[in-house]
Amino acid sequence: MKTNKGAKEIFLDAGIYSGEAVKLAAFVFSDKADIRIVPGKNVFKISVRAENAERAAGEFLNEVLNQQCRIDLAKKNSKIAGIIVTKALLSAAGEK
Amino acid sequence: MKKQENKTIAVRASLKDQNLDVVRYAAYAVSDAAYVFIKPAGKRAVALEFTPKSAAAAKDLLRRFKEELADEQKRAAIFASNRDLREFMILKALAYEEIPPSGQREDSGLTPEQERELDALIAQVESEIKKESFGKKVKDPLGITRTWEEKYGAKTGRKK
Amino acid sequence: MAQKQAAKNNKSQLLLPQALWQKIGANYLLTNDSGHYAWLKEKDFALVTAGKMAEKDPLFAELAAKGFIRNRLDFNDLAAKWKKKNAYLYYGPGLHILVMTLRCGNKCLYCQSAAAGLGAKHTDMPLAVARKSVDLAFNSPNPGITIEFQGGEPLLNWEVLKNTVLYARKKARIAGKDLKLALVSNFSLMTVEKAEFLLKQEVSICTSLDGPKALHDKNRVSSSGSSYDDTIKWIKFFQARHDKQVPEYRVFKPSALLTVSRYSLSGHKEIIDEYVGMGLEDIFIRPLAPIGYAWRLWDKIGYDAKDFSIFYLKSLDYILKLNQRGVVIREKMASMMLDKIVNFRDPGYLDARCPCGAAIGQLAYNYNGDIYTCDEGRMVGWEGNDLFRIGNVFTDSYKKVMNSATTKVCVVSSNLEAQPVCARCAYKPYCGVCPVYNYETQGSLWGNMPANDRCGLFKGIFKALFMLLKNPEKAAILKKWVAK
Repeated sequence: MKTNKGAKEIFLDAGIYSGEAVKLAAFVFSDKADIRIVPGKNVFKISVRAENAERAAGEFLNEVLNQQCRIDLAKKNSKIAGIIVTKALLSAAGEK
Repeated sequence: MKKQENKTIAVRASLKDQNLDVVRYAAYAVSDAAYVFIKPAGKRAVALEFTPKSAAAAKDLLRRFKEELADEQKRAAIFASNRDLREFMILKALAYEEIPPSGQREDSGLTPEQERELDALIAQVESEIKKESFGKKVKDPLGITRTWEEKYGAKTGRKK
Repeated sequence: MAQKQAAKNNKSQLLLPQALWQKIGANYLLTNDSGHYAWLKEKDFALVTAGKMAEKDPLFAELAAKGFIRNRLDFNDLAAKWKKKNAYLYYGPGLHILVMTLRCGNKCLYCQSAAAGLGAKHTDMPLAVARKSVDLAFNSPNPGITIEFQGGEPLLNWEVLKNTVLYARKKARIAGKDLKLALVSNFSLMTVEKAEFLLKQEVSICTSLDGPKALHDKNRVSSSGSSYDDTIKWIKFFQARHDKQVPEYRVFKPSALLTVSRYSLSGHKEIIDEYVGMGLEDIFIRPLAPIGYAWRLWDKIGYDAKDFSIFYLKSLDYILKLNQRGVVIREKMASMMLDKIVNFRDPGYLDARCPCGAAIGQLAYNYNGDIYTCDEGRMVGWEGNDLFRIGNVFTDSYKKVMNSATTKVCVVSSNLEAQPVCARCAYKPYCGVCPVYNYETQGSLWGNMPANDRCGLFKGIFKALFMLLKNPEKAAILKKWVAK
């Protein structure tokens, strides 16, 4: 990880963090920091620009992990999650 | 484990006997206390770097991570062994009705596709459970291991 | 893969069909989807998770009866309990909040509704909007409809409120639905005439009471003197009418809501004593939500989850001590959580269920007919972000509202099965997340639970309740709270 003036660069391994998780985290962070993602060979080069770039980069890392764990969970749990959501929405709409 | 100058705590986790998502979740579970960075460390391991958010948070971090890792390994094993059973139980619960008073069942509240899936799951899981219990002489005076069909007779067709 | 291999190796040994757990002190709290729970010593937990607990072990029968032993599952019992606890999944929204006006004479420090000044009559709900809102509410498939009149101060729009009460009663008769009406008022404009109408129409009355006079008036600043004096005068009036009862109609006991600001944190005993002194039997100790107007003033009136937890636990402890002395007083949030834990019952707590009650459990109708997922969503709208707006009573049908993208995303994001921490949490069978809170505090509807204050707070409350339930004397008191 490198820190420049107001910006921090992070290199995330694509085998550990998926592109989807990185993009979702960048979306969540869109009003907290300026996030630039450059996909490379098996790596995402990410630039985090904010007033406190060090802290913002740390929080961004945690958000990527949050999104990644959500994706991991969906692979295991999507069937049950889907059943509950479907039941709740259908009942609310008055359709059984 | 080694402590670096910037107070980052580094730890290595093997992927030989656990999946990457198990390690990822254990690290995520302690992300209230630290910023977490994971990178590859050879073919079948990852290196984790925890930068504590405060001095107080640093204190327990490694112990918490190890506990979370052990817990997540247990959860993964239990989940893998029971995935179908749990899906069946949720579907069964969603479709559950008290014994109907008039003999006619009300709509289960499921879509036709879910109904078909439920029927298939019921058959599959019950057959698995029977296979597992077969031959074992288990004391069960209350009959709690029996399926509801054994207790109450087969279901009638579902009204759509 | 390693996981599959591990499962294969363990399959023949595993006893647990599905379980969630939390280590608390030296013991483990084990829970499951149906809502059963059991306490295990560390050695027993190790035996159970390793699949090595013997059938002759005294704990085995208890665990089997509660659905923790894989080949001893009573599917009917577990299904019945799951369904009872999640009964809300079978109905549509039951709570319909009508914002009669944004005007209010009070200027409360934390007011989420960011009340408008008394002159802002354009924020009064017109009768046509009120009637359309009621029409839409009655399109919900829920057999029980609650219409709650809120504000601002709803009594400022009295004629419309009165008319809407009568209109809703008529609709209920035609639709054959059970209708409950509720008013949330600061009583500053209450008169005997209005009170008589509300009583005759069986409108339940709820107000805000933040504690003794000094604290209440500090939190709830009134432009016309003491807001406390109005509150107390009318609580006493409605209490007296409740105690007297009449054969013609039911008179409900008045209730009050407590909002905890930073100024409240040092006075838990005084606040609870105030409730007891007023003859109120329930106190709802609610944390301040950093949403809307309150978020802007957070530096002055806010606090972190830890401070609130300390306050809450001290309050709970004091309430139990009062109970031991024979005083009747219950804490509402604990009661609702206990109802799930002890009775496997859905208490109708929209903030702690899976998925949350946004849109599918409640709808908030703004004065102009805009429909929001909930009142908190409306507050966000008032701050200029209409993310939680899901329609308008004049342009959108009930079905369109329920099928809106926002409704769906709130349901999906508050589904605990899709939340990594919640899906593994021992308190999952009794808990829920709030997409509006997540969005306001963490920037996404899903939030990030390890760093989420609300999650920390709920975990603290659940932990305290389960610990109290371990103590037979305290468990007996708590069970009485939800014995009905």
